[in-house]
Amino acid sequence: MGSLWLQILVDALLLGGVYTLMAVGLSLAFGVTRIINFAHGDVVMYGSYAAFFAFAGLGLDPLLSLPAVAVLGAIGGYLLFKWSIGRILDDVGINQVLLTFGLGLVLQNIAVILWTGDERSTTPFYAFDSWFLTDDVVVAKGRLIAFGLAAVFVALLLAWLRWSELGRATRAVSQNRAAASLMGINVRAMYALSFALSSAFGAATGAIMSFLLPITPFMGFPIMVKAFAIIILGGMDSIVGTVLGAFFLAFAETAIAYLVPQGIGWAEGVAFFLMVLVLIARPAGILGTSGREA
Amino acid sequence: MTSVRTWIIIAGALLAALLVPHILPPGLSEFATRLSTLVLIAVSWNMMANAGLISLGHSGFWGLGAYSAALLANAIHLPFWLSIFPAMVLGAGFGAMLAYITGRLRGLFFAISTLAMSEALRVTALMIPKLTGGAEGVFLFDPIRPDRVTMTAFSLVLAVAAIAISYFLTKSRFQYALRAMRDSESAVQMLGVNPARFRMGVTALSGAIASCAGVVSAWYTGYLDPGAAFDLKITISAQIAPLFGGLYTVAGPVIGSFAVLALSELTRLYFGYSAGVGLLVYGVVLVFGVLFMPTGLMGVSRRWIKRFRHSGKLAAEPS
Repeated sequence: MGSLWLQILVDALLLGGVYTLMAVGLSLAFGVTRIINFAHGDVVMYGSYAAFFAFAGLGLDPLLSLPAVAVLGAIGGYLLFKWSIGRILDDVGINQVLLTFGLGLVLQNIAVILWTGDERSTTPFYAFDSWFLTDDVVVAKGRLIAFGLAAVFVALLLAWLRWSELGRATRAVSQNRAAASLMGINVRAMYALSFALSSAFGAATGAIMSFLLPITPFMGFPIMVKAFAIIILGGMDSIVGTVLGAFFLAFAETAIAYLVPQGIGWAEGVAFFLMVLVLIARPAGILGTSGREA
Repeated sequence: MTSVRTWIIIAGALLAALLVPHILPPGLSEFATRLSTLVLIAVSWNMMANAGLISLGHSGFWGLGAYSAALLANAIHLPFWLSIFPAMVLGAGFGAMLAYITGRLRGLFFAISTLAMSEALRVTALMIPKLTGGAEGVFLFDPIRPDRVTMTAFSLVLAVAAIAISYFLTKSRFQYALRAMRDSESAVQMLGVNPARFRMGVTALSGAIASCAGVVSAWYTGYLDPGAAFDLKITISAQIAPLFGGLYTVAGPVIGSFAVLALSELTRLYFGYSAGVGLLVYGVVLVFGVLFMPTGLMGVSRRWIKRFRHSGKLAAEPS
């Protein structure tokens, strides 16, 4: 029995790492711009395809192609902002939702047309490898790598936000757009930067997902929905809250998958039930400060 | 308050909805059924949008309606025209619950909650196969399915009723409260209107109408599974039709439904059933609609009419 609990703990921690990756990008862009990017899941999907083609065509390990994929993601995010999202910054919320939702549809279905719905995946040596902690507690190496990268990325992001000039400006815009603008910060440029960074995160996440999940044009939607649930759980405008939300969700899902009969099916729905509970009990999320006025 | 003319128009439309299906050829009749289901959810979505509530969970209402109709038809052979009542009660109840749970959440948060709730419903439908048939789906008891003409008339009548309801809503006192809520809920509250009550009312009404669309589709196709009943595509078409036609108007969702259905027929004609093209077109319409045509076809035509009149006047003026 002891090893079951240990296995649950290990699985939940590793899943939490994956979830952190999915949600941090979304949370960053939202915290700064107050626009939820419904196309974020599709950015992740394109990251996966990029990593796949680098793997299949050039034989590059997804971890090696990751930096290039992230840079491409940043460029893509910047262009999305410049051409579409940046044009409706002052519109009513409904237009922003419909626009990013539409962008997601366009991105997804271009992928369907280009690459069909076939499942693909990158298969580096560590993808199906695992490592025995004790005799019956298994640690999947792919997920362990994802966990480590998530930790590094989040630490880098927090350090950047805390100590760099641009990071400080980003936080200022997030806290008070008008005051930041009065202090001479170019708010629009910070918006563009945060979208680019968020998409870089998304694409990097995709590169990592390429050896964890089957790659299809439809992989983005469930990722996006989970990421939403996570940032609602953790508090929409807090990176640390997002990380907490990710691990909270991962623990809940893993525990249910192991302990409840037919739990794997139900675990899919846990995110939404938790979300409803949090919305009733503490609408601002675990660490959020947002007055939910967005 | 409402003029006699309005009632005559509504009665005429209802009569037409009952009679026209008898003379329509099968192809057009199917088109009419699909059009009316689209009109139902588009009108219902627009109603919520009108109050500043963005729903990304209309497939939830749709699925509830569809499942209630199918399961009741199988269990107690409830006929199609009666099946809209339990469905409407369920849809309204779910809508009210949604409004209650989301409480003070605005805009984005409301939108995400609706998306999550419809996903939660899908997972639930998948996980209780004893009731819903699970992933294998459920066939509706075939002998009590109405014939094509009845089906079309039924759906057209519902669509006309929904349009009439949304028209009356715009003429009523509620309209002012709802429209003001769209701009600023706190301001509305300051003026002594309780936004929570209006929000609950409008989501319940909208949910009831959207679940009727689900009922129609369940009787029309005769088969349901969680993936199809809670399909995101339903939500997408519910939002694209009002946006295309003209948000916040009565005629917008109807015109938009025509346009969207025509567009999807055209893409099917040109590209066949190749995967992705139809949804890609929807996405492009959404993006371009928001960026370049935020007032929809209604707004564009209004502008053209104005320009036309203007130029007419100029020409008529003596030089």
